[in-house]
Amino acid sequence: MLNKTIVKLAVPVAIGALALTGCGSGSDSGDGTYKIAFQGPLSGENVQLGENMENGIKLAIDEANASGDYDFKIEYVPVDDMGQPDKATAAAQKALDQDVIAVIGPAFSGAADTAAEFYKDAKVPAVSSSATRPDLTTKGYDTFFRAVPNDSAQGAGMAKYFKEATDAKTVVVVDDKTDYGVGLADVAEKALNDAGIKAIRQSAPQKTPDYSAAARKVTNTKADGMIYAGYYEDAGPFAKKLDEAGFKGVKISGDGSNDPSFVKLAGNAANGWKLTCPCTDPTQEEATKKFAADYEKEFKRAPGTYSAESYDVAKMLISEIDKLGDDVSREGLLKALKTVKYQGLTKEFTFDDKGEFQNQTIYLYQVKDGKIEYEGNIDDLSKS
Amino acid sequence: MSLNELWDYMVLGVVLGCLYAVIAIGYTLVYGVLQLLNFAHSEVFMFGGFGGLIALTAWVPVASPSGLQSVVYVAVGILAGAGLGGAVAFGLEKVAYRPLRRHNAPRLVFLITAIGASFFLYNIAGKLFGRSSMSMPTMYENKTVVTIFGASLNVTQLLIVFSAVAMMVGLDYVVNRTKLGSGIRAVAQDPEVASLMGVNIDKVVSRTFVIGGLLGGAAGFLFGLNSKVVYTMGFLPGITAFAAAVLGGIGNVRGAMLGGMVLGMVETLTVFVWGDEWRYVAGFAVLVLVLMFRPTGLLGERLGRTA
Amino acid sequence: MSDATKTTNLTVAQQLREVHWYQKPRWRKLGALLALGLLMSMVTGVQGTHKDIFYAIRENFSDGSVAVWLGIALVVWAVREFASAPFTSSARKVKGTLVTPLGAVGRLWSTERWVRWTVIAGFAAILVWGPMGLSRFWQTVLVDQIAIYLLVAVGLNVVIGWAGMLDLGFIAFFAIGAYSAAFWTGALPVQPPVVLNNFLVIPLAVITCLIAGVLLGAPTLRLRGDYLAIVTLGFHEIVYLAAKNLGDVTGGTSGVKVERWHIDLGFWSYEWNVVDQMPFYWLLLAFIGIVVFLFIRLEHSKVGRAWTAIREDEIAAASTGVDTVRYKLMAFAIGASTSGVAGVAYASKVGYINSENFVILLSILVLSYVIFGGMGSIPGVLFGAAFLVWLPEFLRDFVDPKDRHMYLGALLVVMMIYRPQGVIPSRRRQRELQMAEAGTGGADATGPAPGRQS
Repeated sequence: MLNKTIVKLAVPVAIGALALTGCGSGSDSGDGTYKIAFQGPLSGENVQLGENMENGIKLAIDEANASGDYDFKIEYVPVDDMGQPDKATAAAQKALDQDVIAVIGPAFSGAADTAAEFYKDAKVPAVSSSATRPDLTTKGYDTFFRAVPNDSAQGAGMAKYFKEATDAKTVVVVDDKTDYGVGLADVAEKALNDAGIKAIRQSAPQKTPDYSAAARKVTNTKADGMIYAGYYEDAGPFAKKLDEAGFKGVKISGDGSNDPSFVKLAGNAANGWKLTCPCTDPTQEEATKKFAADYEKEFKRAPGTYSAESYDVAKMLISEIDKLGDDVSREGLLKALKTVKYQGLTKEFTFDDKGEFQNQTIYLYQVKDGKIEYEGNIDDLSKS
Repeated sequence: MSLNELWDYMVLGVVLGCLYAVIAIGYTLVYGVLQLLNFAHSEVFMFGGFGGLIALTAWVPVASPSGLQSVVYVAVGILAGAGLGGAVAFGLEKVAYRPLRRHNAPRLVFLITAIGASFFLYNIAGKLFGRSSMSMPTMYENKTVVTIFGASLNVTQLLIVFSAVAMMVGLDYVVNRTKLGSGIRAVAQDPEVASLMGVNIDKVVSRTFVIGGLLGGAAGFLFGLNSKVVYTMGFLPGITAFAAAVLGGIGNVRGAMLGGMVLGMVETLTVFVWGDEWRYVAGFAVLVLVLMFRPTGLLGERLGRTA
Repeated sequence: MSDATKTTNLTVAQQLREVHWYQKPRWRKLGALLALGLLMSMVTGVQGTHKDIFYAIRENFSDGSVAVWLGIALVVWAVREFASAPFTSSARKVKGTLVTPLGAVGRLWSTERWVRWTVIAGFAAILVWGPMGLSRFWQTVLVDQIAIYLLVAVGLNVVIGWAGMLDLGFIAFFAIGAYSAAFWTGALPVQPPVVLNNFLVIPLAVITCLIAGVLLGAPTLRLRGDYLAIVTLGFHEIVYLAAKNLGDVTGGTSGVKVERWHIDLGFWSYEWNVVDQMPFYWLLLAFIGIVVFLFIRLEHSKVGRAWTAIREDEIAAASTGVDTVRYKLMAFAIGASTSGVAGVAYASKVGYINSENFVILLSILVLSYVIFGGMGSIPGVLFGAAFLVWLPEFLRDFVDPKDRHMYLGALLVVMMIYRPQGVIPSRRRQRELQMAEAGTGGADATGPAPGRQS
């Protein structure tokens, strides 16, 4: 008897609870307060990247609010998509429900692919500082901006490095089977072939418990160089195993591995690795040392991959909002971004008519004695 | 694709197989006494990695140690890993499984509890220790020590093989030659009769969990030494080791060892022939094939009979 | 026998009977509560960082939260041990006042037909129009996640709740359905012979999943419960890795865009709009309604009874003439095709699929939805799936989103300990569990767990 009553009560109660939670979101942004959302992985497997970016954005917003330079306040709205395309729709909707003026993100390419339609429909500018898959800007998402050079630029940069700065004949391209890794590896493989270098494609999927066999396979090709397209969490152990397997060639990896944690995970095996990045390292260049110090002070850790870019994007949005004066609207901001020219810590931000980042410069770093050291613009290096 | 290369990979396969075998024993022991898939064993393994890391972070000085120091540090790491693994397994049994046994709950309920416990454990590890990968401090120079017919083994790999073999031999002794071992085997064969014969089932079950936890924890440390420590590291090796236990005949300790070795070898050779992305496909395909022809695994089922 | 041995025998017996002070229930309870307090302080404490592995633990101790939780534990223990009488009596009183009106409502429900129909009609009305009042975010969650998983869970219920087979790889069929949708609508890198509308894909996906279900089931059905579990898990991993690694065929991790639901009848066409959730919701509600209706009919048909017989005792069922292999295969295939429909619905709603949407964790989660709600009971499974999908989204605003799954896991453990039959169990299932507890029968085809308390 009791159980039957429970059946009858539980379902309406659940529906009621659902309904209640739905009513909570207020859309009133108040006087002189604008909301900027960040959509990225704030939980799940890739939370570390999300945290790097979130902290950069938070820092920018806190600084702006505290500076007194602006006659409005910025409110930070985090929305979590776990980096997954299917969770991204709800996350985007959550940002829209809160009536945000602009979104930084989505952080991951797959998530950007599903969420961008929502932002397009609501005419909210979405500026991603990390979604690097090339085709995102060709799909007609006209409110999507990419504030970072895409994978094509990085893959081409790596190939260029091998062609100009080394006399490598064969290069192994290893992807980690993630969206990012496969995209980058595809581009690099093609660019290498175009440059007349033989590319051998292999895979070492993310989270493989033991990379010994994969590393052995790379070593056995006797190639002159190796490109690892993946994130630092796995680049670390992979570098370790590659070292144990006795690989002697030039080792290069992309922005996903360009993180101090990579060196920490790989230990001595990281020495000699080259790392490309469309970013300038915030701890390296003079102008950005203050950012790194502030960040460290605020969050008790060093800025990671994409922290500085996200900080820049947030600052850019705030300054554009400021320039709009009294007439702040999503459309206005959108229009302003199309023609923006903003000098950030890491680079100058300008977008083409598709929202693609215009300055496609790639920088090179090298690990020396357990430190990631800035080498310079990859074009300059190659020429020398 | 020369023979030399094949031999190279086979040696790597043995090293990986040793790790899988030690984890698989944890699954199989618990299955033997409770007929329960202890899904949360993968988190016991993960905590073992953290146990070693915690102890070594607290004790290892920054300078690179050598000689006797290295030996002491590694021993401390293994013991700390095993200790935390055993403690987590003990707590798990007390909190999550014992109340269910009191109700004589069906196995599915155990399975869901195990899944819930697994979720809880790995997330709390992520919360307490951070969600990024960490590596063990350097305790020795990881150079090549032996070369067997052209396949070189470095310190870490030798360490893994030696400690795994030592643990397996030790466990085999415990199960077959000690009073606790006969208790375990008795409970595995028939819990009711065993309890009538004066075996304290609660104690035996609890100790079985602890033994599995000790082994899993030590394996977790060795695993962390080999690659890295992160809160999600338990899942994939856990599933593979579970498959290894089933492959050998679940509930059968020697079967688990054999299953682990076979899967380690199959996975490594898959990398050699096709590539790393097909590793688990081959592993599971072998499992399915074996089960089709031998439905109770390579060595058959019962802990009581064969071990 | 000498006196000496007698006395040793006596001391051994005494030793066995002796209980140390710390083994007494009172102190054991204290120990358990203190341990729980310590755990709670860690659960609710600060987030750790990989830079300093001791950071979180140190912070929790130094900011006093450990002390607070231990204090709470101590108070709870003291109250329970020394002053529990007033609480239990008042709790009993509250329970008493609650039970009578609940009982009355229950009687009204079972005797008066109009009451039943009004409640059902009202409930249906809420289901159809209620979500319009939700915020857009919750509408999206409702459609993209809850509705889809309801379909999957109902399908899994057939396999596990009715036929009693442990399937740990159910999302594999979901993936097959989704990729069928992508293939037949021309979204994959490989082109289909004819490009079809999403609705026309449904029967094709059902057939594909039926075949896949039979292909997986036929060689494995003679395996017992736990072996079946690992084989299905392996099947899922193989399907997932195939989707991931065969990028030239499936799009791999980069994924493919799939057309959303649309109808074009020449004279009339309609396209489901990406940002407007309600039409999607009504469509999925219709799917769920049809499936649930069919399954309720199925449960009470000859097939359903055969499944029950197999679940409760396979050998007895076979000896009374039930073709166990056929019915088990049927359960597998029906479950699989339901999951396939969900896959089509998912791909046609989200409009984008990649291999990472079908990770193994989801198979395990769906299983827990079914058992949590009460396996074998359709209302239970619906509730379990809806609640457990909704909960993490809801928790997002109250706890650190990173910790959501920790609470989910803890909930599953607590729930299974205190209510193993699920939230809304089926009556038959509940009786099976009671019989199992009394030791007179098994509750699964896989049998009860041995090693029970002596």
